[in-house]
Amino acid sequence: MKNQKIKLRDSISGRLTTRVLIVSALIFIITFTALVRMSANRVREEAAKHAHSELSSAIHQINAVLESVEIAVNNMAWLVPYRLDAPDYMYGITELLLQNNDFISGSAIAFEPDYYASKGHYFSPYSYKDKDGKIQSKQLGNDTYDYHYMDWYQIPKLLDKPYWSEPYYDNGGGEMMMTTFSKPLYDSSGNLYAIITADLSLEWLTELVGQIKAFDSSYNLMVSRNASFIVHPDRNLILNETIFSSTYGLEEESLKKMQDDMVNSRAGEVLRKQNGSKFFVFYSPVETTGWSVAIVCSRDELYSGVRNMRKILIVVGLIALLFMISMSHNGIRKVISPIERFSGVARKIAGGEFNAILPAIQTKDELKELHDSFEYLQKSLMRYIEELKSTTAKKERIESELRIAHTIQMGMIPKIFPPFPERNDLNLYAKLVPAKEVGGDLYDFFIENEKLFFIIGDVSGKGVPASLVMAVTCRLFRSVASHFTKPAEIMTALNDSLSDGNESNMFCTAFLGVLDLQTGILEYCNAGHNAPLIICSDGTVSELQVVPNLPLGLFEGFRFEGQNITLSKGNMIYMYTDGVNEADDKDKNEYGDEKLTSLLKKLWSHSPIEIVNQTFDDVKAHADGAEQSDDITIMCLKYK
Amino acid sequence: MKRYYCLLFLIFLSLSTIKAQQITFAPQWTAQSQFAGYYAALENGYYAEAGLDVTIKHPTKSYNSMAMLQEGSADIISSELIQAIMTINGGTDIVHLMQTTQHSTLVLLSQNDDVDELADLAGKRIGTWKIGFSEIPHMLDKKHNLGIEWIKFISSLNLYISGAIDATLAKTYNELIIFSMAGVIPNSILYFSDYGFDIPEDGLYASEEFFREHPDLCRKFTEASRRGWDWVRNNRESALEIVMEYARKDNVATNKYIQKWMLDEILKVQEDTEGGKPSYHLQKDDFDYLVGLLLEYSYISEPIEYDRFMGGVL
Repeated sequence: MKNQKIKLRDSISGRLTTRVLIVSALIFIITFTALVRMSANRVREEAAKHAHSELSSAIHQINAVLESVEIAVNNMAWLVPYRLDAPDYMYGITELLLQNNDFISGSAIAFEPDYYASKGHYFSPYSYKDKDGKIQSKQLGNDTYDYHYMDWYQIPKLLDKPYWSEPYYDNGGGEMMMTTFSKPLYDSSGNLYAIITADLSLEWLTELVGQIKAFDSSYNLMVSRNASFIVHPDRNLILNETIFSSTYGLEEESLKKMQDDMVNSRAGEVLRKQNGSKFFVFYSPVETTGWSVAIVCSRDELYSGVRNMRKILIVVGLIALLFMISMSHNGIRKVISPIERFSGVARKIAGGEFNAILPAIQTKDELKELHDSFEYLQKSLMRYIEELKSTTAKKERIESELRIAHTIQMGMIPKIFPPFPERNDLNLYAKLVPAKEVGGDLYDFFIENEKLFFIIGDVSGKGVPASLVMAVTCRLFRSVASHFTKPAEIMTALNDSLSDGNESNMFCTAFLGVLDLQTGILEYCNAGHNAPLIICSDGTVSELQVVPNLPLGLFEGFRFEGQNITLSKGNMIYMYTDGVNEADDKDKNEYGDEKLTSLLKKLWSHSPIEIVNQTFDDVKAHADGAEQSDDITIMCLKYK
Repeated sequence: MKRYYCLLFLIFLSLSTIKAQQITFAPQWTAQSQFAGYYAALENGYYAEAGLDVTIKHPTKSYNSMAMLQEGSADIISSELIQAIMTINGGTDIVHLMQTTQHSTLVLLSQNDDVDELADLAGKRIGTWKIGFSEIPHMLDKKHNLGIEWIKFISSLNLYISGAIDATLAKTYNELIIFSMAGVIPNSILYFSDYGFDIPEDGLYASEEFFREHPDLCRKFTEASRRGWDWVRNNRESALEIVMEYARKDNVATNKYIQKWMLDEILKVQEDTEGGKPSYHLQKDDFDYLVGLLLEYSYISEPIEYDRFMGGVL
């Protein structure tokens, strides 16, 4: 076998390393993703908490200012009904209001139309701070400024409750953004007679909201109840754009949520995407006015820490993976390197070098077990080979002896055909094929005094024991036949001889016949053998009527009964052992008597040699390669 | 000496004809796309080409263009047809110069989602402009005997948001988009044109006196204005830039999206038929139908003749 260099990807270390790499990479990716997600969520939560805390603080300050204005108005409003008889006193009240609260930049007590006949349709004493901070007063209403239709007047009047106006630009005064707190005033009958107001400049609000510095690059904005920007870094947007107009045309769920929340005084946070960048908006409402303050922060800035951590993790992770691959590959190679050496040893053993030196294993793991197994294999193989050598020698000797026995056995039966070439009245052919080197079948014949003595037999069992009995039977047949003329007598004598001292209880079936060649009278005796078949010259095949008697060697003193018939000229006696009719094919189907009879009917006109050989061929064809399990012997004689 | 005076007179005469004629034009509201054609005519030099030195002077929220015309602080104004008829009925002689929009833009936006039919408006508090446009809603109120409590306003958005009113009148080109930009989505919108009140609105007017004295100026102004509108129709983006500039100058709190919406809506109602070319002409049938309605609901006491209103059509 050629020792090929194994490719890395096919090697155990390569495969194990790949698996370790895949599993490690998966674990790393999962852990990494979870960690980054958790960190991002954590950062977002913390950012939201921080942003809302900042918003809450700012809103608290806004509320404090708004509340101070409301308190200031309420503290002055009670004075008005007491001095309704003196309209001009109202100027004193509005001036006082400005004096009491620094945030208030203007204040009016705006009366219903024609409330004072002496003052006409409009009467709204108004005090304000001029550019120098001095408090000035004037009457506000006229035909070009009909305050009765201003939000700050009309809405609290219709709602019957105080109202903070939406922020607006004060075009007439300080050119700044204002909001106005209005409180309706009612007489004792519950009829509204005036609205007292306090204007609040929103410069401080812009400053306050602008000062929130929740994150490095975050900015803040504020929108009014009608969605207009009140505070925004881009001053062009203030009171010109709304959170709807500035995002006009954008279809985005988070935007819609933010817009809806902001105009409906709900706190929240959204992640938005605009112009390719993502940013968080954290917002919270100023409940008093319905305004909403928001902190806008770039997601990149918020997640910069997480992003840096992600980069570091990726680099560390990759280095760790590379290191692990290297360590894993080398480690596995080191651990399994003895396997390669074992492979070499296995090749040497296969090549016959059973005592090849095994790699030394110091560990007590599977490799040690492999080492021990190899060692055991080597010892077993060497022992086995030794045993094999010995067994082979023994077997060879036995086989040699068997071959000699075979030759001897075959030498004991007549093998020259035709046996009596000088005679015209007899044609005989016989063939014995043992299943093993030696067998228990036998046949023999000889002519004495114009009588043909013949026997066919089958010793029980096979192999050497049967062959010994066969040899004894053959020798006895020759010696006994010379003393008796009747087959029954010969058979009785044979039986007695074989039975004597037959401790192995082996027996032999046999058919013995004496054919008077001059008369054609056949005397015969059967000892438990298959009845021979008579093949007549007209082509009929019939079984010879036989008395079964007993096989030879079983009961000493048994008297065998003989029989006789007269053979017509041209008839044949066909004798065989059970190796013929009991020959099995691969499926254990026997050849059978019927098939034999049928074959013989076809072959009636053939010579004994042809009949015997063709029977052998037919049996062989039936066996179809199945191992011959019994000795096969056929003897056929034709009386002519 | 006499000859010297004659020479001086001739010089004065020639100078006064060479010098561009000064005209003060007052649109009916603060700077917005509703008047884009006039801004365009001025910025593109169409008025100058016609020999006119036009000054555009916007009214304030409580001092409207009709008042400016009556008090002489404007020579030519933009106003609604119905307001013009009412003004004539009130005794001020004014003359119609050009009709820009041909259809009603009047709608009613409601907070309540149960306004499926007119009867649902009965007894409701509904906002209406202080400066006008209220005649038609009032006619509808009377016609269906709804008993609406009308609340006059200068600006309706905050009134509506605060919940001080149940519904408000609105113009498709203005309040509809302003409400939308404030995140206010009315639960129902009722179009007056669906109830037999598809009345033409914006047009140009001059006092009869000015018209008699300066028919040529009026004609030139009208023609140049028409050029302005035609240009706007074909150059909406550029027109929008001009409008935004005027809005900034006039300190109007607005934005491009609102003005774009307004411009598109205005140009739509200028078409006599949908997609058709504007005729800038007031149809006699439309005029007579409106006069008939105003008489029926006693807004005017005497019928007004179409020909007189048109001042001998230009």
